Amino acid sequence: MPNIEFDIDHVAKLAMLDINDEERAMFAEQLPSILAYVGKLAEVDTEGVDSSAYISDLQDVMRKDEEVRSSNELRASLIKSFPKESGGALEVPAVFE
Amino acid sequence: MEYTTAVQIRNAIENKKVTAIEVLEHYLDIIAQKDKEIGAFLEVFEDDARAQAKKIDEMVASGESLPRMAGVPIAVKDNILVKGHIASAGSKILENHVATYDATAVANLKEAGAVIIGRTNMDEFAMGSSTETSFWQVTKNPVDTTKVPGGSSGGSVAAVAAGMVPVALGSSTGGSIQQPASLCGVYGMKPTYGFVSRYGLIALGSSLDQIGAITNDAKDMALVLEVIEGIDEHDATSVDIPEVVTHELLQDNFEGMTFGVPKEYFVDEMDADVKKLVEEAIEKIKSAGGTIKEVSLPLTEYALPAYYIIQPAEASSNLGRFDGMRYGTRAQSDKLKESYLMSRGGGFGKEVKRRIMIGTYVLSAGYYDAYYKKALQIRQMISKDFERVFEEVDVLVGPTSPVVAWGLGDKFDDPIAMYLADIFTVSVNIAGISSISVPCGLAKGLPVGLQFLAGAGQDGKILRAAAAFEALTK
Repeated sequence: MPNIEFDIDHVAKLAMLDINDEERAMFAEQLPSILAYVGKLAEVDTEGVDSSAYISDLQDVMRKDEEVRSSNELRASLIKSFPKESGGALEVPAVFE
Repeated sequence: MEYTTAVQIRNAIENKKVTAIEVLEHYLDIIAQKDKEIGAFLEVFEDDARAQAKKIDEMVASGESLPRMAGVPIAVKDNILVKGHIASAGSKILENHVATYDATAVANLKEAGAVIIGRTNMDEFAMGSSTETSFWQVTKNPVDTTKVPGGSSGGSVAAVAAGMVPVALGSSTGGSIQQPASLCGVYGMKPTYGFVSRYGLIALGSSLDQIGAITNDAKDMALVLEVIEGIDEHDATSVDIPEVVTHELLQDNFEGMTFGVPKEYFVDEMDADVKKLVEEAIEKIKSAGGTIKEVSLPLTEYALPAYYIIQPAEASSNLGRFDGMRYGTRAQSDKLKESYLMSRGGGFGKEVKRRIMIGTYVLSAGYYDAYYKKALQIRQMISKDFERVFEEVDVLVGPTSPVVAWGLGDKFDDPIAMYLADIFTVSVNIAGISSISVPCGLAKGLPVGLQFLAGAGQDGKILRAAAAFEALTK
């Protein structure tokens, strides 16, 4: 893969990442060389090879669709870990403007 | 204290030669003396640990039978949840994240009487090979404090290597247990994928991640695995592996075992002294009755590039949950999108951003087939290669790392040089098999690790090989 186009700002936008000027300059240099390195895979003929994401013989595991109640203690500790809480609910910035 | 392994400590407590509190205080003292320089621990749970140790001593006093790891202090990597304590995964974005439950591995350890002594430093979200990407601190190699301990489980490994704890938990996504164990001169094992539940492990690469342990010998390794392994309803990828050697059954000989030496594991870029020590170790195995056979894993050179596509791809997806909304640190903005961008931009370090960017790129429209799909196919081919080789041999043997511990900061600004430190360990995670690193001597005064690899579910074989090799070199 000789021509590696890497639009840093576009990818950062897709990844929901705020990057600063220093990082932008560093990534502009490093990311194409990392991609060139991993692009070595193009040398291997993979025609017809399976592309599953897992390698083991894992089977699908099912569980019963049952309601499981959390303890009040767990509920309280989860609420406590919210960055912002309002009346026992998670408070987030407005989704629709 | 004369008891240095988990097996010895538990038995000494049972036989009333020492109390669990005495054991704990001994290790807390060593931590107080040494950790200022080493920087292995992010937090020591003194009060909780004392309460746990006290319970064990009460059991001894009342004549109850003791569980398998009663009174054994254990350190836990900062990405494995311990209820009521911060688990930050070495990241600023989780600086205030308090675990609301115990990881299954931790719950099993507590059930077995182990005393959770604290949480250890790591590369941020386990992305790194030197523990230097941690937001919090640098961890130094206890053998030579001008060197890195390896990573990403560098804190756990350094804690064991410095004698601050007899046992620690780590996690491996591409060698993050074995590689630092090699660099610090201790035992580190990554079990077969699914062998230990990952419930409560902060995810990096879900098809690769596995919890494992760091110990001072093979017997302790078998003991810890006996305790933490097993199928778990909270982790759909956990598997039941029946044929694992228990610590009482480990043999100290190579009788009937065939070892494969992959010729691709002796590359030109390797440190000549490391190569020499590993070759000598293989000779020793041969003289002690092991059958040695040269084998070939022709796709070895493609494992690392495949890994550095699959892992960032999975990481970019897994780390999507860190957006500052439900937990972690939220940047102050009343605009939703701005809050996401700022929380993630300010909360993640450079290596994490680098990998999220790579992962996002290889999964994006137009590049998916060339990178991600290609890497998955090569992964299947590598896995098949291992299956073929394990039809001929019981265990593979080779180096854990191509180099000894390098200087702090030396590779920090060169990501590819850093990634190459994992060249012999990534295949293990790529193929979902098991491997253990055992110390095999010093080169330039620094530890060298010998790696044994076995096929999926054959973890008992590498434990046995490790025990036999240990007997040979002690």
